[in-house]
Amino acid sequence: MKVSGKRKSRNNNNRKNMRGFLWILPSFLGVMVFYLLPYADVVRRSFLGAVDNRFVGIENYKTVLGNTAFQLAVKNTLLFTLLCIPVLIIVALFCAVTLYKSKYGGLIKSAFLMPMALPAVSVALVWRLLFHSQGLLNHWLSNVDIAGNDWMNSGSAFWILFVSYIWKNLGYDIVLWMAGLAGISTNIYEAARVDGAGEMQCFFYITLPNLKSSLYTITVLSFLNSFKVFREAYLVAGDYPHESIYMMQHLFNNWFRVFSFDKMAAAAVLESVVLLALIMLLQRAWDS
Amino acid sequence: MKDRKWRRTIGTLLAAAMICASLAGCSKGGAAGTGKDSGTGGGDSQGNGTESAGEQAMGRFLEEELDTGVVFGNIYDMKKLDDGSLRIIGTNEDNGNSGVWDSADGGKTWQSVYDLPDEMQNSEKGWMDYAAISPGGQVVCAFNEDVSGGVHPVLYLMDKEGKADKMSFELPKEGESLNITTALLFPSNEWIVLKDGAGTVYQINVSDGSVKYTYELDSDTSVFQVFAVGNNLIAQDETQVLCYDLQTGEQKASEEALSKGGSEKGLFHAVDTLDGGESVYCLSGGGLYHYKFGGSVMEQLIDGKMNSLGAPAFYPIALAMIDEQNLLIAANDTNASSVTGICLLKYTYSADTPTKPDKELKMYSLYDNKEIRQSISRFQKEHTDVYVNYQAALSEGNGMNVSDALKTLATEIMADNGPDVLLLDGMPVETYIEKGILKDLSALLKESGGSYFENILNAYQDAQGQICAAPARFMIPMIHAGSAYYSPGEDFNAFTERKDTMVNMLPGTVAEKFWYTCGAAWQKEDKTLDEAKIREFLTKLKNAYGEYDSSLEDVSAGMSVTSEGAGTELMKEIYLSQGNFDLAFGRINTNFGLCKDMDYGMQQAVNKKLKDGVIDLMPGQADHVFVPTMVLGISSKSAQPELAEEFVKYLFSQDAQKISQSGGFPVEKESFRSVIDGHEYEGQGNLVSVGGNDMDEMLDYAMEPTPEEEITKLTELVESLKTPSLQDDVIKEAVVEQGEKVLKGELSPEEGAAAIMQKVKIYLAE
Repeated sequence: MKVSGKRKSRNNNNRKNMRGFLWILPSFLGVMVFYLLPYADVVRRSFLGAVDNRFVGIENYKTVLGNTAFQLAVKNTLLFTLLCIPVLIIVALFCAVTLYKSKYGGLIKSAFLMPMALPAVSVALVWRLLFHSQGLLNHWLSNVDIAGNDWMNSGSAFWILFVSYIWKNLGYDIVLWMAGLAGISTNIYEAARVDGAGEMQCFFYITLPNLKSSLYTITVLSFLNSFKVFREAYLVAGDYPHESIYMMQHLFNNWFRVFSFDKMAAAAVLESVVLLALIMLLQRAWDS
Repeated sequence: MKDRKWRRTIGTLLAAAMICASLAGCSKGGAAGTGKDSGTGGGDSQGNGTESAGEQAMGRFLEEELDTGVVFGNIYDMKKLDDGSLRIIGTNEDNGNSGVWDSADGGKTWQSVYDLPDEMQNSEKGWMDYAAISPGGQVVCAFNEDVSGGVHPVLYLMDKEGKADKMSFELPKEGESLNITTALLFPSNEWIVLKDGAGTVYQINVSDGSVKYTYELDSDTSVFQVFAVGNNLIAQDETQVLCYDLQTGEQKASEEALSKGGSEKGLFHAVDTLDGGESVYCLSGGGLYHYKFGGSVMEQLIDGKMNSLGAPAFYPIALAMIDEQNLLIAANDTNASSVTGICLLKYTYSADTPTKPDKELKMYSLYDNKEIRQSISRFQKEHTDVYVNYQAALSEGNGMNVSDALKTLATEIMADNGPDVLLLDGMPVETYIEKGILKDLSALLKESGGSYFENILNAYQDAQGQICAAPARFMIPMIHAGSAYYSPGEDFNAFTERKDTMVNMLPGTVAEKFWYTCGAAWQKEDKTLDEAKIREFLTKLKNAYGEYDSSLEDVSAGMSVTSEGAGTELMKEIYLSQGNFDLAFGRINTNFGLCKDMDYGMQQAVNKKLKDGVIDLMPGQADHVFVPTMVLGISSKSAQPELAEEFVKYLFSQDAQKISQSGGFPVEKESFRSVIDGHEYEGQGNLVSVGGNDMDEMLDYAMEPTPEEEITKLTELVESLKTPSLQDDVIKEAVVEQGEKVLKGELSPEEGAAAIMQKVKIYLAE
C-alpha cells in the first residue's frame, strides 16, 4: 500500500514535469530554431572558409585576434560598456529613489520613457543637425565666440554616443528600479525608523540589499541595450565612423558586406563566449 | 474532471497551432514564388497564355528585324492603309530623296510609289519637319519654306498617287516669333491633327484646310504629346492621359486605366488601332499595351525587357498593327545594323513559344548601365529562350545606398539566390576575387576569339594568371590645354608647379579627377596606403590650385556644363568632354578628366580656338593610367554557369562591344576602332554648329571620319596604358572629401593626409 502510494506520487511528479515541459515547448522550439541552431551553424562556419566552405581549423580565430580593426572594436565596445553601464545604473537608481518619493513620480517617469519611444532615425537626424561641422551646435557656439568642432569626426563622437545612450535608456532603467522599490515592504522602513534609522541608513541597509535581485536584471538588460547604440552611430556616421565610436557591430556590418563570413563567425563565437561568461559571472556573484 | 481534460486538449491544440504557424512563416513562399511574375515576365496577358501548376504559359511576340531592301535615312510615318497594304513616308539614304513606299507583303519588301515634289526635295527651298499618312493613303507634310525674311511653315497634301497641293491652312504666329509644328497626325481621311509650338492643337479639314476644332492643351506646368486613333485624340503628359472626341471637339470622360497605365508605363512613343478607334495599341519603353476605351485595364502584350523595345538607344517612330498577331515598328536604333540606325522591326505572335523564356539569367549591377541594357536586348533577340533579368540596385528609387545594396547582394549570393553575372561597378572587386566570389574568366576570354587590348583586359589578372574580373570597357584620364599651360609629356611635379592651371575649377572635382591618376601610386605591397605620397599629392595639388574662390560654388550651382550629369551617382562632372566649351572660350585654362569617347571634330574645333591645343595623358603620380569600366564577373555560385559564360562571352564580342552609349572605349580592338573612326560620317562632310550654355558661344566643325593618323595615335596611346586606377569607393570618398577641404584651405595638406589615413585605416585593417 505504501509502495503504491510512493509510485503514485512519483507518477504525479513526472506528469507535472511533463506538463511544465509542454508549456515551455513552443518557446523552447522558437529559441531552438531561431537561436540555438543558427548559433551551432555559426560555430561550424567559424572553422570553415568564407565562401568555399573548406575546413581551415582555427585559422579564422587567429586572423580575427590579430586583426587591428577587431581589436579596436573590442576596445571601444568594452570601454563604452564599462563607462556607460555603471553611470546609467547609478543615475537611474538615484532618479528612481527620488521619483518614488515624489507625488508626481508617475508623471515624470513617463517623461523619462519618451526617448525610448523615439525612432532611431529621428534621433540620428537631430544628431546630424546638431553635431555636423556646419551644424546648430557650432552655430550657437560661434554666437558666443567659442570655436566649434567637427564633433562626429573627433574624439567628441564617443561622448556624444555616451550621453545619447544614457538619455535614451535612463527612463527604462528608472521604471525597472521603481518596480524593485515597490516590492520592498513599507513595514521594514517603518520598523527601522522606529529604531532610529535615518534616510541614508534606510537606503544603505534596507533599499540597496532589497534591490539586489533587480540589479542583476537591470545590469543584464542595460548591457544588452548598449549594443543597440550602434543604430544611431551607424545612421549618423555610416560604415566608417570616427575610430572612437567604431563598435563591434560596425565591424560585423562591414565584414558581412564583403563576404567575410569566416571572420564574422569566429568573432561572433568569441563574443558570445565572453558574454556568456560575463553573464554567468554576474549571476554567480548575485547568487552568492 | 472532464472539464480539465477539455481545457488541456484545447491548450495542447493551441500550442501546436502556434508552433505550426511560426514554422510556416519561415518556409519559402513556394506558391507565390513560382507563379508568373507580372513585373518581369511580361506575360501577364501576353496573347492567350495561361499557366497552371506544372504547366508553362505559352504565347509570345517574337521580334525580327526586316531587311527591306531600302536604306531609309529617315521615316516620318508608317501606316496600314484601308486596303491592307502598308505605307511609309521617309527618306532614301542612297539618293537622299524623300518619298513614299508601299508594301503589300506585311513589310518584307517595299516599292517606291512616288517621290515628293521637287520643291520639297530642295534643301535650299526649305525642310520638312513632320509628315503623316491617312488610312486612305493620303500624305500630309509640314514643310518650312525658306522665304525672304524668314521661314514660312506650310502644309503639303498629297493624294494616294502623289499629286501634291499646298493646303490653305496657315499656322498663326506665336507673338513676334515663328510658330512651328510640333506634331502632325492623320487619323482619318477627313481631318488632320496638328499641334503647334504654343501647345494648341488644330483639327484641320482635309477638304478645305479650315480648322474644325482647336484644343488648348499645354500649360506652364504641363506639356502634352498628342496621338490620334479613329475619332479619339489622346493627349499625354507625365501624369495623365486626356481623351477628346474629334467628332464633337469635346473632352471625353476620363479613362482612368489608360491614364494610370500611361503614367506607370512611361510616355507613349506611338499608337495605332485595328478597330477604327474602339481600342488603342500603345507603344512605350515598357513594351506594347492594349486598351479598350471605357475598359478597366491596360493589357501588356509585349514586354519591352525581352526585346529591343526596352533598349535605351531604341526610339520608336511609328507603329502599324497589321492584325492582332502581327505588327510593325519603325524605329531609330543608334545601334541597329543599318548605317543610318533607321530600322523596321516585325513582331509576330508565336503560340508555341513560352510566354516567359525557359531560362532566366540574373545580371546585377549597382548603377544602371545603358550598354548592358542594349546588349541584353540584342542577346535576347538571338536567344529567345533566355530572359536576362537585369537588376540595377541603386536605380530603382528604393532609397538604397551602396552599403545596403552590397549587404543584400551578399545575402542573396550566400543563399544561392544571387545573380549569375555581376557588373562590378562600385563593388570591391579585389575583395570579391580574394573571397572566391568570382569565377576565372581566362579560358572564356581566350575562347571568345576577339583581339583585345591585353593591357586593359588583364587589369585584374592575379599571379596565377587567373582573370576573375575583366573590364569590357575603359576610360582614359586625359588633358586638353594650350601650350601656355601644358607641354606634352609633362609629369605631375612639373604640372603642379605651374600657376593658374586650375582656375575656375571646383575643389572637389579637381580632387576627384586627380584621384584617378594618383591613387594607384599610393597602394603599398601590403595593400595599405603610403601616407607620404598622399601628403605629397595634397601639397602639390594645393600649390597648383592656389587660393579658393568661394563664389565658384554659386556659379556652378546655376551652370551645368552638360546634361550628362543626370542619372546615376557615377555621372559627375569628371569627363573631359564636359569642359570643351569652357576651355574653348577661356573660362578654364586646362581641361582634364576622363575621356570615354572620341569626338574628333569637337576636339579640332576647340584646338582651333586654342590655336596650339594639346591633348595628352593626364599627369599624375602614377603613369599611363586607365580607368577600367564595365568590369564583369561571373558568380562562383551561379545557378547557370554555362549560360552566364555565354552571356559574358557575348558582352566581349564585337557585336556588343560596338554598342556605344558613352560608357567608355571598347576593350576589343576592332570595336575600339569602329567607335572612334567616325565611319558614320563617311561621305557626308556636314558642317555643324554646336552651342554651349551661352547662345553666343558656337563651335563649328565638319562631321567627318577621324584621320588615320589620329586613330593610330590613340590606339598606340591605349596600348601604352599600364596602370589601372585604384577602384575603391571607400578610399576615393575619403580622398575627395579631405582633398576638397585642403583645396579650400580648411585643412593643411598634412592634416588632410592624416584625416584620410584615419578614415581608411579601419577599412584597410578589416
